[in-house]
Amino acid sequence: MISSISSAVLSLNSVYVLTGLVLWVFAAMTLGDRANNRRFGSALFWAILAAIFVFGGSRYMPHWITGLLVLAMVVIDGTGGVLRGHYNESTKAEQAEHATRVGNKIFLPVLLIPLVTFGFALAFRPRYMQELFGLDATRAALVGLGYGGVAAMAACLRITGDKVRVLMNEGRRLNDAMGAVNILPQLLASLGVIFTAAKVGDLIASGIHHIIPADNLFLLVLATCLGMALFTIVMGNSFAAFPVIATGVLVPLIVKPLGVSPEMVAIITLTAGSSGTLMTPMAANFNIVPAALLNMRDQYGVIKFQLPFALTIWTLHVILMWLMIKLF
Amino acid sequence: MHAADLLKLSGIVIVIIGLALRLRTTLVVMTAALVTGLAAGLPLFSSEGIFEALPFLTKPDQEGIINMLGRAFTDNRLMTLFIITLPAIGLAERYGLQEQAATLIRRIAAATVGRLNIVYQLFRVLTGILGIRLNGHPSFVRPLIFPMSVGAAEGELKARTAEELPEDIVEEIKAANSASENYGNFYGQNLSPVQPGILLVFGVLSGLGYVVSVWTLVFYAIPIAAISMILGMIQFWLLDRKYQNKMAGR
Repeated sequence: MISSISSAVLSLNSVYVLTGLVLWVFAAMTLGDRANNRRFGSALFWAILAAIFVFGGSRYMPHWITGLLVLAMVVIDGTGGVLRGHYNESTKAEQAEHATRVGNKIFLPVLLIPLVTFGFALAFRPRYMQELFGLDATRAALVGLGYGGVAAMAACLRITGDKVRVLMNEGRRLNDAMGAVNILPQLLASLGVIFTAAKVGDLIASGIHHIIPADNLFLLVLATCLGMALFTIVMGNSFAAFPVIATGVLVPLIVKPLGVSPEMVAIITLTAGSSGTLMTPMAANFNIVPAALLNMRDQYGVIKFQLPFALTIWTLHVILMWLMIKLF
Repeated sequence: MHAADLLKLSGIVIVIIGLALRLRTTLVVMTAALVTGLAAGLPLFSSEGIFEALPFLTKPDQEGIINMLGRAFTDNRLMTLFIITLPAIGLAERYGLQEQAATLIRRIAAATVGRLNIVYQLFRVLTGILGIRLNGHPSFVRPLIFPMSVGAAEGELKARTAEELPEDIVEEIKAANSASENYGNFYGQNLSPVQPGILLVFGVLSGLGYVVSVWTLVFYAIPIAAISMILGMIQFWLLDRKYQNKMAGR
């Protein structure tokens, strides 16, 4: 009994429900925000996202309904329906006055987020903990991020002595600054699933197969690394590209005919894809969301900064893999 | 290649053109998904529930595009979980979080933008080795690393407040902070056998009939991880040098 309650509380689902509740508060506040020219559309957008967080995957919301709701969100955003409002922002003078009163204590709530995430990730490394609560290590860190957010809210309210309303309004300020970019990672993941179902990857692998002469080692290595990077750029995810390139190019053209150690070349192929991730807006959670999170003027600013690094390290992948096959 | 196959690639073309023209990204991605699915002959809905055996909209035993969309969107809610951290970060910012972090760093004379980014990248490699997965952009970069870097830049560029810093330098700092997280995360995580990258390679190779060891995979991940750290150090060190030259040239 106790274990079933605790595993329900410690599940990813409960953290999703909490996030949904926060989003519903944002939606309600947006509805009352007369400074927002599209307050109905904006409120509806966040309310739908909230509903998907709370009910998604349950029997109350089969996937086809979620799919149609996602379509509705895209239509709202596509017609310019998601806008920012007014948030009673504090002035620099107020911030300075607050800062002298609260001082370094203000770090405590913010440090709680990584600390709780960390704590969960560490606590759920032993297998018996994972079995006891039915929570694997990957999910544990995410559950930790969720409860870290909740703990940080509580600590923040206590330290500042401010109202819940102000807390939520500040959350809404940051959320609206990002806007519909928030759902981009989830949308791109859906695009990836449809690409996979349509077998776009097999098409790319067979294309490479046709072009590359099988007797030139350097060209084979180049094709593997290039294919991996390009496919990652399209999918926005090296983990989605790796199985396709490994089965379609790496193993049949390099590992099998040349008798190369699969471990040696496989991991280099994977990180050749990571170099692609650094260059693509399709990897929105790594490149576009951070730019929005930091209110950058240029949404491609992170990618532009990463480009020289990514191109250099990709080139080194090609050279390293070629050398390793030659030497070992 | 058949014409039908080429049609499937139209989704990729839509994405490239849409993003190049800076059309609304959500709309571009959704259009690409629908076009690719339809070009591949996938049905719109699965043949189940109220759609059971419906002509045109469904095909027997095939998952519908709308169903896939809903399933993937639901399964990937974890990517948007960071929203729950926003209220606390927002309120802390209202109470001077960024200013306080900057003040703290200004007291450390050795702190520079470049060195901070190098230390953060190494920290992310370390968490990777420990098998810890973090969502570093919302939990570390926005609330802590960015304001600390701004504080360091104020010291480096002899600015009294963050407002005195040139805007393009602040933008560059934001990009560098985000990049430092990505560099450390992407190449550091493969140094642990419990991280998803190693497990994926292990799984795919096993599926292809190769018996491999996760520790051997980790071993072969070392050279690239080392290269990533060196390249990161060079790029961030160049940033510092640029700021020093700026000061010298003034």
